[in-house]
Amino acid sequence: MRATLPTRAGFVTNEGVEISYEVYENNGPTLVMIPPSPITHSRIYKAQIPFLSRHFRVVTFDGRGNGRSGRATGRHQHTRAKNVSDILAVLEATRTDKAILVAHCHANWWAIDVASSHPERIDGLVAIEPGVPYLGTSHQHWIDSGERWDEVLEDPRGWELFNRDVIVNDLHSWVSFFFDAQLVEKHSTKQFEDAVGWALETTGEILADAEEAQELDPPSRQDFYDQVNSLDVPVLVIHGDQDVCQHVDKGIELAGASGGDLVIIEGGGHLSLARDPVKVNRAINRFVETKRGTRMQTETWTRGLGRPKRALYLSSPIGLGHARRDLAIVEELATIEPDLQVDWLAQDPVTRVLQTAGATIHPASEWLASESGHITSEASGHELHCFQALRRMDEILLANFMVFQEVVEDGNYDLIVGDEAWDVDHFWHENPELKRGSHVWMTDFVGYLPMPEGGDHEAHLTADYNAEMIEHIARYPRIRDRAIFVGNADDIYPETFGPDLPKIRDWTEDHFDFSGYITGFSPPGPDEIESLRDELGFSSDEKVCIVTVGGSGVGQDLLEKVIASFPIAKTALPELRMIAVAGPRIDPDSLPKHPDLEVHGYVDRLYRHLSVCDLAIVQGGLTTTMELTAASRPFLYFPLKNHFEQNYHVRYRLDQYGAGTAMDYSATEPDALAAAITAELGRDVIYRPVESDGAQRAARLIAELI
Amino acid sequence: MRAAYPDIAGHVERDGVNLGYEVFGDGEPAVLLLPTWTIIHSRFWKMQVPYLARHYQVITYDGPGNGRSDQVTDPERYSADSYALDAEAVLQACGVERAIVVGLSLGAAYGARLAALRPQMATALVMIGPSIPLTPPSKEREATFQRFLQSPGENPQAWEKYNLAYWHSNYQDFVEFFFSQCFSEPHSTKPIEDSVGWATETGPEILEVEALTSPPNDPWEEIVSRLDCPTLVIHGTKDRISPYARGVRAAELSGGELLTMDGSGHIPNVRDPVKVNLALRDFVERVAS
Repeated sequence: MRATLPTRAGFVTNEGVEISYEVYENNGPTLVMIPPSPITHSRIYKAQIPFLSRHFRVVTFDGRGNGRSGRATGRHQHTRAKNVSDILAVLEATRTDKAILVAHCHANWWAIDVASSHPERIDGLVAIEPGVPYLGTSHQHWIDSGERWDEVLEDPRGWELFNRDVIVNDLHSWVSFFFDAQLVEKHSTKQFEDAVGWALETTGEILADAEEAQELDPPSRQDFYDQVNSLDVPVLVIHGDQDVCQHVDKGIELAGASGGDLVIIEGGGHLSLARDPVKVNRAINRFVETKRGTRMQTETWTRGLGRPKRALYLSSPIGLGHARRDLAIVEELATIEPDLQVDWLAQDPVTRVLQTAGATIHPASEWLASESGHITSEASGHELHCFQALRRMDEILLANFMVFQEVVEDGNYDLIVGDEAWDVDHFWHENPELKRGSHVWMTDFVGYLPMPEGGDHEAHLTADYNAEMIEHIARYPRIRDRAIFVGNADDIYPETFGPDLPKIRDWTEDHFDFSGYITGFSPPGPDEIESLRDELGFSSDEKVCIVTVGGSGVGQDLLEKVIASFPIAKTALPELRMIAVAGPRIDPDSLPKHPDLEVHGYVDRLYRHLSVCDLAIVQGGLTTTMELTAASRPFLYFPLKNHFEQNYHVRYRLDQYGAGTAMDYSATEPDALAAAITAELGRDVIYRPVESDGAQRAARLIAELI
Repeated sequence: MRAAYPDIAGHVERDGVNLGYEVFGDGEPAVLLLPTWTIIHSRFWKMQVPYLARHYQVITYDGPGNGRSDQVTDPERYSADSYALDAEAVLQACGVERAIVVGLSLGAAYGARLAALRPQMATALVMIGPSIPLTPPSKEREATFQRFLQSPGENPQAWEKYNLAYWHSNYQDFVEFFFSQCFSEPHSTKPIEDSVGWATETGPEILEVEALTSPPNDPWEEIVSRLDCPTLVIHGTKDRISPYARGVRAAELSGGELLTMDGSGHIPNVRDPVKVNLALRDFVERVAS
């Protein structure tokens, strides 16, 4: 799922080619993002758009030959003049009178042309890893491979792949090599996949034509120098000093010649906008705001000793479980630190729980892109490839981090608690100078694990993600002031982080404190069960089976399968009463109806119902299964297919408690499910007890930082 | 030892009065830090000068009656107009045509007068805790002003010490009281000691002349409203000398920016210098670009 969608989108036909554009309406200056087509398209700016469009009006378009724009063929279709003309056509079509141009790589050549030929329309230029002729140094590999461009090479390797024959006939080889070479930064698998994917949306023929078209109408050296020297707009150049596409000298000389600002990203390659997006976004924002000169109008600064103690709490919206345990922790914190003010940066469905509890939700929460919506969009049937879904959530996590960072820079927070706030933890390690306040990281699992279906490649990816996390913590132990594992060391899955990486348990014991499990509620004691059943309307002559799929919106298929088994089970056991809970994100009316079957939407404090039911049927999420474990209820659980956390981490933990019966969704037909229901309904179970002081222990660990 | 010493120190004479000035650094633009009520002298900018001088050319000078300037007894030299002309003379002596002007308390009034009289010279104005009568003074202080020339009584307390006869009989005690009010923030011993020390470099005779200078009938609302340059007002909410409401009003009238210092007193540039320094830098960068 994209982190933000345009206000409107359209096409403009320019010189016979359809150019696709998107507009994110907002007040303030317009930023026009120019992709270096045709090797990529507007999505190259996916990490910039959600952030910049919150502050400014943003226009993007796909250059000719890629994305949703026309596949113009022939060298003459890809000249500088044609691309410049496209930019002007997009300005017209989007009614953009004045724009700040943002360009990457060779798109800067076009942008400079526009800025110098139409100074009245251009207010600034942000040149990212600019590829401009004559300035700076050209890498030798371009010169060498260019000399053999037209040859048909025997077994070309490396930069020899920059060759017409290779590009036309084996585009994948060229772009894979090219982007692998560009992403000099470690742990760039996602950026690599993105860039290769976008490049494959064009054709080798078009890409080769476009390369050759650069020779058709180049400016003379003198003309280009004149253009740059006479640029009458503010310029910001951002350039990675390890760029092997456009030598960093080009950026340095462009900044010098244009009198522009220069940001060098040391250790950065050609795709800083994708690989170091926080730095790039903030540099662009600062450039535009400084130009506007309007930053401070009114500000209130409170003296240090006059400030109340404040915490910002982030609770992962993936599933409903975090919200309740976090509320329980905050309640315990209040007994230790009664004056602590807690704001929540949160989104649906967490906000529903918080609103019911009367918690203070920070107004910036409304800017958050939906993580649970993304997870729902990634699920299909009873399957959620949780690791890949998290990877593909990259732009949403970044968009939300940018919101978070603005909140902490304004809020004088003493403490940041992130319960699986992946964005905060990751991007603070990537941008350690941005840390504010003390930071508590909380999670109930450590380590990405590959699913068998993903084979070696997925094992390589999970190990790479784990390695990055391990390196983050080793290099910047100051980013996590406290790391809390919600559980016990025995709960940790007995695996390594990957080849040549430590055992998860050893590493976690070295780097975390353990709070024990946190249910967020006390299950009813033996003498309280009857009265709670009475209160909830469960009569003594019925056996109540509750079916619930949590809050994420993934679970329609499981609900339907259980409902299909209901008539069979009801026939076998007439005292069966089945209650299906659709949760906040599934429409109860979309489920099959059946006489005697009760279907509800969101149920407040569902854990109370679960704690006194005779059987529960659930997914493999940790929260619900552990609630049932704590309440000593029999339950059937169906881990989502390809969900590494549910299949490995949660299942292993439940096994430690001797709790629950794991079921395989695809292998369980309604008859078998009905039989399982009949066997389990009302069964007496004895599980290892679940600790009840987890919230208190976590609160104590946190309070030490305040 | 001072944290920064001037690159140039000198005196400029204007109509027979010598004014001691100092110039630090050579960056762009020039920033002029004005004198304030002459009970203290230019050292009250000591927390700003070293930092700002690393970025800009900073000019300070002592007003008439204190520091290295002449102990002037001519009442005319204590009017806002006269201060504005002094500032102009200092800038000219330093060869500076344009400066961003910063004033504290009464200095904010002098700065506003300078910006009104010499708009081409003062390109922007920062008013810290402006002591400009845009809103009424606090009740306590108003009563004080009315009793200023009366007998202080046996054992004056608090603002009763703001009394001409008491100044002459017990200057030190008055000064200590006054700065305890300026620095309403807890734990302010050092700023109070500093200020009391600077106050002993002048005395009740000078302050009497200054105080009896016919109160300016300057149309302050109009002067501040007509300010044509970018302005920034910095004002503490716990200002016991010039109410916070004045800062709010000054920002409104001048169409400028307002930095509210929650919990700060009358002289935040001394007591909360980091925030003030950063705000000054931020403002200068923006107006200079």
